[in-house]
Amino acid sequence: MLQKFLRIVSIAGHELYEIMHDQGVLTFILFLPLAYPLVYGAIYHNEAMMDVPTAVVDDSQSKTARDFARRLDATQGAKVIQFCTDMDEAEELMRQMKVFAIVHIPESFERDIQRERQTRVGLYINMASSLYYKSVVLAANMTVLDMNKDISLNYLGAGTKQQNRVSRQPVQYYYTPLYNTQSGFATFIMPPVLMLILQQTLLLGIGMSMGRARETYRRNLHTLHQLYQRPVEIIIGKSIPYFALYLIMAVYMFTFITRFFGLPALGDYVTYLAVIVPYLLACIFLGTVLSCLIYRREDCIMIFVALSVPMLFVSGVVWPASHEPAFWRYVSYCIPSTFGMHAYVRIHSMGASFADVYPEFRALWIQAIVYFAIACLLYRWRLSLVKKKLITLFEGDYENERLAI
Amino acid sequence: MSIESVLTKIWLIAHREMHLFARRPMFLFSMIIVPVTSIILFTTVMGDGLPVNLPAGLVDEDDSSISRSLVRTMDAMAETELVARYPSFSEARHAMQRGEIYAFFHIPKGTAAKALSQRQPSIAFYTNEAFFLPGALLMKEMYLSSEMIGMSVNRSTMTAKGNTMRRAMVSVQPVALETHPLGNPWINYAILLCNIILPGVLILCILLSTSYTIGIEWKMETHLDLYRMGSQNPAIIMIGKLLPQTLLYMLIFLFMDVYLYKILCYPCHCAFWNMVLVGWLTIFAAQGLAIFVFALFPGMMRFAMSVCSLIGVVSMSISGYSFPTLAMDEYLQYIVNIFPLRHYYLIYVNQALNGYSILYVWANVAALMIMMLLPLLVYKRYNKVFTNYKYKP
Repeated sequence: MLQKFLRIVSIAGHELYEIMHDQGVLTFILFLPLAYPLVYGAIYHNEAMMDVPTAVVDDSQSKTARDFARRLDATQGAKVIQFCTDMDEAEELMRQMKVFAIVHIPESFERDIQRERQTRVGLYINMASSLYYKSVVLAANMTVLDMNKDISLNYLGAGTKQQNRVSRQPVQYYYTPLYNTQSGFATFIMPPVLMLILQQTLLLGIGMSMGRARETYRRNLHTLHQLYQRPVEIIIGKSIPYFALYLIMAVYMFTFITRFFGLPALGDYVTYLAVIVPYLLACIFLGTVLSCLIYRREDCIMIFVALSVPMLFVSGVVWPASHEPAFWRYVSYCIPSTFGMHAYVRIHSMGASFADVYPEFRALWIQAIVYFAIACLLYRWRLSLVKKKLITLFEGDYENERLAI
Repeated sequence: MSIESVLTKIWLIAHREMHLFARRPMFLFSMIIVPVTSIILFTTVMGDGLPVNLPAGLVDEDDSSISRSLVRTMDAMAETELVARYPSFSEARHAMQRGEIYAFFHIPKGTAAKALSQRQPSIAFYTNEAFFLPGALLMKEMYLSSEMIGMSVNRSTMTAKGNTMRRAMVSVQPVALETHPLGNPWINYAILLCNIILPGVLILCILLSTSYTIGIEWKMETHLDLYRMGSQNPAIIMIGKLLPQTLLYMLIFLFMDVYLYKILCYPCHCAFWNMVLVGWLTIFAAQGLAIFVFALFPGMMRFAMSVCSLIGVVSMSISGYSFPTLAMDEYLQYIVNIFPLRHYYLIYVNQALNGYSILYVWANVAALMIMMLLPLLVYKRYNKVFTNYKYKP
């Protein structure tokens, strides 16, 4: 037992030594997880698209129309940057990307209101980004609702101040965006991306380390040193340095990055650690399995980098999982980040308790165990191949290999 | 050198390159499997276009005509489906934390009684904005439903006072808003996102495979053979080396455009071949960028590939199709110009989405062309790169 332990420790020590002397691996597992969240934070930290540049075509040229434009300008979502004389002029601004929305107030606007006829305001939006649409539509709807209430008071007939206040809004309503109080983009996308960064950099680091081993020790997965004989010990030993380092990275995401960018921090430390342990294990063992595909150091970049964006999309964080085709949902169940992201968002953004994230916790442990088993089988298969080769090979070659250690 | 011998040399290098591909499944993976799988993945994951019937809940402490009419209104809306009722606020919140619902209404006791006696009751609704898209969609409909409760009370007051139904209806909504989302009237998220993400994935693959295939020569220490084969002319070498992948990527881009604009019928308000040509130009631009990056880090294949993946991955966030560039810090609005995807995106919006004249985005077309010609800047340097530098891990 003690011997087993010592063997694992020395494998871990060897792996740590190799990592420390490999700039490429260090960049991936040290620099990337530290720096990447800062890049994303810098891009998204303004949270929302406010004051979308808007042009107003005021055919009515009336007091009510000007009032409408003023109220629209006062909203958070839209900013009237130009009054145009006709639609052509406004469309020209849209083509030049100087405005992203056009509000058209018809010629009969004020007359219709005074004659108690419904009047229609046109809103034209450039659909280049969904956030332009969201901001402008919300702003315009709020403006219209606000105006309608004032106008309907005239229909209802004069009342006391209190009566007017009530009929302006017979039933009050309050909207509370939970867990992301300003409906911000950073608050929404950063937490899942943090988990994805952990997984992807781990895959890259483990893959590159394996590529180096393959290049140094020829086709074998590791040295032929006598320590490396039992797959379980090799895998546990090799995982220890990554696990220890990434525990620190996970805490860095949970504390520093969250505070630095003011992301929601409702999470409980213990719950987080309880979930992050199986998450990291699942990622590390998945990395070990996938790294068997890697024959050269640089191969890992080719394989893992391009998969990041699809992984984010199938996870169900961006696109609701309930509306995803079943096939892709099952594919996403094979990826640790799917459960990692959901668990992290629930714990840290939504303050979920351990019981709330138990399904993710269980799924991550299942993944960790399955990937560990697959990794063991792959290593065993490799070892037996090596042994066979050694038996057939000349003894001297073995000595050469040993000298390479 | 005669043209014939130049062409022979290019052909020989291209032939050698194809042998390289044949020996490495890695190339097959990043040049065919990843792009084609992504094209299918993104279009099928977002196949619904706009998610409908998102699960929402209700905490109804009032159990009155108002709450019932609210339930009916909500159910009639496209994007909301009331899936559960909860006895209290905290239970609804827990359901939200477990991920069962994305939003819920809270109607406190006495709402109907207060509304009838003009005591202005208040109701509340909550959306889970940690999930951006469902939160935003539900929020829109819940606002509308809440407004409609007030409107129906006012309408009843109007008719009770002896007004005609027509007048009552106009009084509820004297000004109506007609929204025209240009080019994408269905607010289809697949159209909003796939049109940019897919070229983004392709650009990433192009950047990576270009720097990989150049770098591998140094790694295998065959760069000097290559240099001799191309009679010490970097232009011949690069053209020969990249020719096979360029043709492959051109085919994939063509396939993507056919699939998006002809089979899935995404809006394409310009000539179909305009989008194909823009796509091809983007391929050349990405390759130019990758060749340029490698010259900056000669022999350091890993470094060049890391820089390329940084450009490729960050461009998906910074290009502005999801989070507009206008909302970012000002310095980023300048930095964004080094990303080929940004220019592709603006040209796409101008061409396929809106069908305007390409003259409005001439600067973006020029930017892509400049990127394509970037290797000219390092033409001389490549001679040194070939002769003086060795592979560095």
